[in-house]
Amino acid sequence: MFSLFKYHLRSVLVRWRSTLATILGLALVIAVFILVQSLAAGIEKSSSNTGDPRNLLVTRQGALAETTSVITRDQFNIIRYLPGVARDATNQPIASGDVLIIINLPRNNGTGNANVMVRGIAPTGRALRPQASLVEGRWFAPGKREAVASRRLAGRMANLQVGQTFKTGGVELTVVGIFDGQRSAFDSELWIDADEARSAFDRPDYSSLLLRPESDEALLQLKKHLEGERRLKVKAVREVDYYKEQTRTAGPIKWLGNGLAIVMSIGALFAAMNTLYASVGARTREIGTLRVLGFRRRSILLGFLLEGAMLSGIGGILGCLLALPMHGYSTGTLGWETFTEVVFDFQITPLLAAKGIAFAIIVGLIGSFLPALRAARLPVISSLKAA
Amino acid sequence: MTIPGFIVKNALRNKRRAALCVLSVAASLFLLVSLLVVLNEFTNPPEDVGASLRIAVRNKVSLATPLPVRQRPLIAKIPGVEAITALSFFGGKYKGEENTMFAQFAMDPEQLELVFGEAKLPREQLEAWIANRTSCIIGVDTAKRYNVKIGDKFQLIGQIYPVDLDLTVVGIYKGTTDDRNVFFHQKLLDELTGDLGQVGMWWIKARSPEEVPGVIDRINAAFTNTSAEVLAETERAFQLSFVSMWANIKVLISSICSVVVFALILVSASTMSMAIRERMRELSVLKALGFRRHELFAFILAESFGLAAVGFLLGAGGAWLLYSSVNAPTLTGGMFPTLDVTPRILAFSALVAAVLGVVSSLAPALAVTRMSVVDGLKTLD
Repeated sequence: MFSLFKYHLRSVLVRWRSTLATILGLALVIAVFILVQSLAAGIEKSSSNTGDPRNLLVTRQGALAETTSVITRDQFNIIRYLPGVARDATNQPIASGDVLIIINLPRNNGTGNANVMVRGIAPTGRALRPQASLVEGRWFAPGKREAVASRRLAGRMANLQVGQTFKTGGVELTVVGIFDGQRSAFDSELWIDADEARSAFDRPDYSSLLLRPESDEALLQLKKHLEGERRLKVKAVREVDYYKEQTRTAGPIKWLGNGLAIVMSIGALFAAMNTLYASVGARTREIGTLRVLGFRRRSILLGFLLEGAMLSGIGGILGCLLALPMHGYSTGTLGWETFTEVVFDFQITPLLAAKGIAFAIIVGLIGSFLPALRAARLPVISSLKAA
Repeated sequence: MTIPGFIVKNALRNKRRAALCVLSVAASLFLLVSLLVVLNEFTNPPEDVGASLRIAVRNKVSLATPLPVRQRPLIAKIPGVEAITALSFFGGKYKGEENTMFAQFAMDPEQLELVFGEAKLPREQLEAWIANRTSCIIGVDTAKRYNVKIGDKFQLIGQIYPVDLDLTVVGIYKGTTDDRNVFFHQKLLDELTGDLGQVGMWWIKARSPEEVPGVIDRINAAFTNTSAEVLAETERAFQLSFVSMWANIKVLISSICSVVVFALILVSASTMSMAIRERMRELSVLKALGFRRHELFAFILAESFGLAAVGFLLGAGGAWLLYSSVNAPTLTGGMFPTLDVTPRILAFSALVAAVLGVVSSLAPALAVTRMSVVDGLKTLD
């Protein structure tokens, strides 16, 4: 069997031109598949990477996202003094009412505007989100019309670098710092002081409420209590669970990736079949010789299938390598839940790479099956006579 | 045998190979056309008949920030404004549905004919809608999809607004580019939300197309330095601002298009040249018979051109047939109201097919013209 394998390896190398075209064609298919899927993986990663499992997020019942939620000041005061909410050193409840505002800002590459999520946040709110760490400048000071932008957002929008100013809702805000959200959903946000946001954008109420229960049991009890309280009409979920749900944007992208891969691979399949048929045809006499030497039909079949799998496997690996430079590259699109720009990275996970290679090998096996069958069925005598 | 007959015979002498070749070209061109259609829908959304006269006014902060109701009389007075309606995106879920893919808007029913004149609705239905505050009109596509008839209840669960709507369908309209939308009374929304004095947007109809730029400037200027600054723009500009929000998805699709084209040329060119390499001996015979180089070149070119052309007919034609017969909103989950294979897209894919035909014949043709007759006759398959 090993000698047969060596024979196939050598035949492939002799016909290097058509071999190369087949491999490259398949590699491009796999590269496209992996790249598109890595976008969906990036969105999912940034969603699953956000929040602290100890936090409880309270939003209005029925609201699709924080941006469309409303928590009134009364609700805020009732909820944060509920038993079970952790207290800080000064015996104040650790709870933050956030105000979320969507603002329209120009991009820095001149291709129009995008919706950006502004989070009005209190100092407690910052403490509850340790993921966002300052990397440049300083945090905003309340009452001074200052803002802090995520590094990734600042890289996409105009006027978000430290020291620059932008105008929205009749106020002019100065960027005084840049934070890094460590590949979380906070990477798509701009933070300002909560009370300032309420006055600047004329919002009497908060959008959401994030709090830290004393313990995990307290969290579950609080959740049960809040959702059972019909007067409040709120929904309470773990912060991490809330963000895990925010992946609707990834759906159509996955769909696109699968669709592309299927149609492209059908094209590649026909081409690969053509190449293999031609190579079987050209090797008719060699196959006859192998049969005379005692190789069984099924060995011939297996050999050609292996040849197909090997070529496509190489194509798959090459496709991964072609896609790899895009890993970690930051990009963005419209988020479906928040109606704002979500910033995320291409994430080429090992699972994705394995899927790509497996997909390539399946294509190779399907493509080589019919030609291999033909090779196995060649009559010995007449194939020896072939030119 | 005539020369065209000879070329056709040659192309079909290995029927399996010709078929596989054509199919791989067809699959790739089908994909190319599909991608271009999607890209076109993204960057070039369809336009309504009345669009050139319409102006969309939103809060300058963003679309998600409402506008105060007190702006209405001020805008109505601006010269060149013929009609104005509130238009608030409700964004609710249709009862019992997880993802609702049609939009719902609150507006002023009296203004429907004036501002959105292309929505055709029988007069008595329009009057019934104006008369009944809890009624709504729905687009013909939504009516068909949910099998809703006039007189039926239509319930919407609010997601942006904390209210649910219990509406009665009194009219079914058609004639817009997106006959899925549902319209109900702005007054009902005001009532349910406790008269906040807010609307989502203003939509305005200008008196004539020439007056549109002036009206836009006057509206923008009218609210500068007020607590609710506005951004007025043409309907087209408003639509294109959505396109801009999709950001890098556009770039992604166009780069995939180029990869597809490249992969297609690579793979198909290799298979086609293989078909010709196999025939070196015959071509030498032709040469020996006295055929000139350019004639041989023409044979080869015609053959690969023909295969590419059949692939184009199958792939692009198939895409055209498919997209003109399917229901686009259902297929795309409501993302695109139409999937239009424009003449431009067809022309571009035809060009790609033509380039493919030329490129794949180039290498073998060159080899044939250079090769000496004796060498060619000696070639083994």
